[in-house]
Amino acid sequence: MTFPTADRADIALLLEGTFPYVSGGVSSWVNQIIRAFPEYRFAIVFLGSRREDYGDPKYPLPDNVVHFEAHYLYDDLVSRAEPASRPGNGEAYALIEQMHEHFAPDQPVASALQEFRSVARQMLPGGRLTADDFLYSEASWEMICDHYRRFCTDPSFVDYFWTVRIMHTPLWKLARVAKDLLPVRVLHSVSTGYAGFLGALLHQTRDVPLVLSEHGIYTKERKIDLFKSEWIRDNRNVFQRDPTELSYFRQMWIGFFEWLGRFCYDAADPIVALYEANRLRQVADGAPDGRTQNIPNGIALARFAPLRALRPAEPPPVLCLIGRVVPIKDVKTFIRAMRRVVNRMPAAEGWIAGPEDEDKAYAAECHALVRSLGLENHVRFLGFQKVEDLMPKIGLTILSSISEALPLVILEGYAAGVPTVSTDVGSCRQLVEGLDDADRAIGPSGAIVNIADPQALADAAVALLADGEAWQAASRAGIARVERYYTDRMMFDRYRQVYDGAFARCPEAR
Amino acid sequence: MAGIGFELRRLLRKNTLIGLVEAYAYAGIIGSGPWVFSIVGILLIGLFSASLVVPSFLVTQFQTSVTYLVAGSLILTGLVQLAFTRFISDRLFEKKREQVLPNLHGLLLIVILAASLLGSLLLFVALPGLGVAYRLLMLAGFVIMCAVWVLTVLLSGMKRYQAIVLLFAGSYALIVVLSLLLRPLGLEGLLGGFVFGNLVLLCGMWLLTVHDFADPGPFLRFDFLRRELAYPTLMAIGFLYNLAVWADKFMFWYFPPTSEPIIGSFRASLIYDLPVFLSYLSIIPGMAVFLVRIETDFVEYYNKFYDAVRGGGSLEFIENMRDEMVYSIQQGLGEIGKIQTLAILTTFVAGPALLDALGISQLYLPLLYVQVIGAGLQVALMAVLNVFFYLDQRRIVLFLCVEFLLLNVLFTAATLWLGAALYGYGFTLAVLLTLASGLVLLSRQLSRLEYETFMLQ
Repeated sequence: MTFPTADRADIALLLEGTFPYVSGGVSSWVNQIIRAFPEYRFAIVFLGSRREDYGDPKYPLPDNVVHFEAHYLYDDLVSRAEPASRPGNGEAYALIEQMHEHFAPDQPVASALQEFRSVARQMLPGGRLTADDFLYSEASWEMICDHYRRFCTDPSFVDYFWTVRIMHTPLWKLARVAKDLLPVRVLHSVSTGYAGFLGALLHQTRDVPLVLSEHGIYTKERKIDLFKSEWIRDNRNVFQRDPTELSYFRQMWIGFFEWLGRFCYDAADPIVALYEANRLRQVADGAPDGRTQNIPNGIALARFAPLRALRPAEPPPVLCLIGRVVPIKDVKTFIRAMRRVVNRMPAAEGWIAGPEDEDKAYAAECHALVRSLGLENHVRFLGFQKVEDLMPKIGLTILSSISEALPLVILEGYAAGVPTVSTDVGSCRQLVEGLDDADRAIGPSGAIVNIADPQALADAAVALLADGEAWQAASRAGIARVERYYTDRMMFDRYRQVYDGAFARCPEAR
Repeated sequence: MAGIGFELRRLLRKNTLIGLVEAYAYAGIIGSGPWVFSIVGILLIGLFSASLVVPSFLVTQFQTSVTYLVAGSLILTGLVQLAFTRFISDRLFEKKREQVLPNLHGLLLIVILAASLLGSLLLFVALPGLGVAYRLLMLAGFVIMCAVWVLTVLLSGMKRYQAIVLLFAGSYALIVVLSLLLRPLGLEGLLGGFVFGNLVLLCGMWLLTVHDFADPGPFLRFDFLRRELAYPTLMAIGFLYNLAVWADKFMFWYFPPTSEPIIGSFRASLIYDLPVFLSYLSIIPGMAVFLVRIETDFVEYYNKFYDAVRGGGSLEFIENMRDEMVYSIQQGLGEIGKIQTLAILTTFVAGPALLDALGISQLYLPLLYVQVIGAGLQVALMAVLNVFFYLDQRRIVLFLCVEFLLLNVLFTAATLWLGAALYGYGFTLAVLLTLASGLVLLSRQLSRLEYETFMLQ
């Protein structure tokens, strides 16, 4: 596979674990944005974990992507240099020590960020803080031992040691990426985390404006990741373990990403959230209030509006969950809900439309659950489907997720006249019930239930499907809501303003 | 020598005086077995023969010939001893037992070919004009002894110490008996007994190995020649260490004022050799202590250290285990020091009587004293080298071997030049300085052990 390269571009998109290698909401959004601005030349910096974690690209690159580069943070974690003993730069390590002291909760964030910036500068190629020193030097070893003694509450030193290494080593790789990146006029990162660090570092060294768009909240999603990840060890024995307390290594990861996030918020302007709850969370996590704004996702109405006419007069009794079969979507709750739905509406069917290859073990568990509930004839796994083909055949879109941002599936359903039953996560309540008074006046376009509550999910779905009147009202409200607030035109206009503002601030324009 | 640890711990766990004595006696015999038997055997042959009809110069010729055989074969096989031990233990770690025997045969083939070629060449270069029977016996002895050393290191690697000691004891008893019976045939008779005894030893060891590793499979393999499985540093170490140990002896043999021609171009140093061989007998107690300490205490904490590193122990625990390792090394070296001091004092007291009993002139006494000290220091040096092998610091061991060789050559040359009063000091001083620098390096290495273990591997 060959990728385009260029020697300059207008906008560099910094993408961590999404487009073009991973399909999903964020990737579709990126695809949408790039194609909406054919007048700009985009460069894409893809950051992945390890090369073997990704297959072929899931999306073809749009023509205005003039440059593409991929970097894998956990590949060749250890530098190619033969490990050799070295003392390490004492001054540089004093700087790091000072920075970590400032990270303490009782210290002002501003001074900690100042320390962070000066440390980050030294991590660039040619700086005093080299990756080889971090990996092999005595100074680095002393610091790891010292911090283990002072802070680590988990007994296992080897796990602490490797957590520190695995966590920090990608930063040097990113520093090299930052140094080598082609000249661009605007940076646009689609998350905080490692991509946000790269953006902030580029902003700091090149004085190029950094736009940050957050779909989820990185630290929060990482928290969910970290909660379920088996590989973060917890070595406390039964006496040392306090079940209310996170394993120390999880806390380390969370703290690490929180600081990467602050570093990124400090450099980014504007900081874009999808919806109000997330914007407030960004502010709570350290984003300056004045630089934040909401730009909700939008969809192309023209794609979905014609589908309304294709549906039979009576809504089909089909509940459809459109999404990847992964734990975060809580597909099992949907399957359990289907048991109750089928009990009350024997004609009802549940469809699960999404790829099952991301977490094969979870997908297998879902299939097993369908069998054990005797739902083989009522729940169908369809694999990846085109949304346009599905919409005329279903009566409800279902979201049972335990975490979402602003799910496009709901909006696409609205545009096609399909109401939704969703869990109360992310912006879903806002999408169903409305945000401000004018929005609320449109009426509910579906129903909101609590997470992991199959009974409530089933009852809400049956209430809509069994009552033609209520279903039609919700369908009309959905169409009205999406046309008024969530079209792609509006989103593109808002981003055009964002980009225009950023170009005005780039060094060449001044 | 990890396998010996279990037996020693079993004896020590009895926690009785007898158990303790047993443990040290066992360790002493195991640790110094093969070459103690060779030295004692040669001395005994000399003792029995000299008192009877055989002319004494024939006995000297015999002893010198055997000494050259031992030295030559040890230095030549030094090239493969350590490297092959490592190769075998790697294969056993990979659970590839079936590869042991074919590779042993491969190595034996190469060693025997090399020894035959080199030996045949030396027959013409070093022993021209001597009787065909003598020359052929020398060639056979050289080849057989080379093979014996290869099998000895293999069986040591297999932890078959008891078998090795028993085989050596039996063979050398046979050699003494045969030599006494074959005395009437003169030098060829004595040497014939020696060669035949070694052949029996070789066959015994080979049968033991076949018995242990009888797997159906190819007879010959040369995996140990493969680049990724070979250890050039270990080859260099084995060769240089043996060369270093023998360097001062060779210099005394070929420095005219201290030596005389014995047979062919083989020379010997009457004033130097006997004290040296006697002094090596004094290190038996030191070797015993060394084995007990290193193979029980040190290895125990060594294993705990690496288990804790891999298994998620706390840094404090890891450091404690490191400290315990250091402590057991200190204890071991301290005890070697004490016990060798006792051995040295005993030699000082009993030396004159011993020399009288052996019919050796009192003139040898000062040299014996200084050689006993040197031999004692050599035990400590071997202990230090062994610890470095455990820590897999082959470069440091190589450095120490080079240092030992250079210093031994240099100081021995200086003492030869300065005169008889200083004979023996060259070797002792070389061992002392090598040991001192080894201790400095060991101390540094141990203080950085966790750093190197975590950061540099």
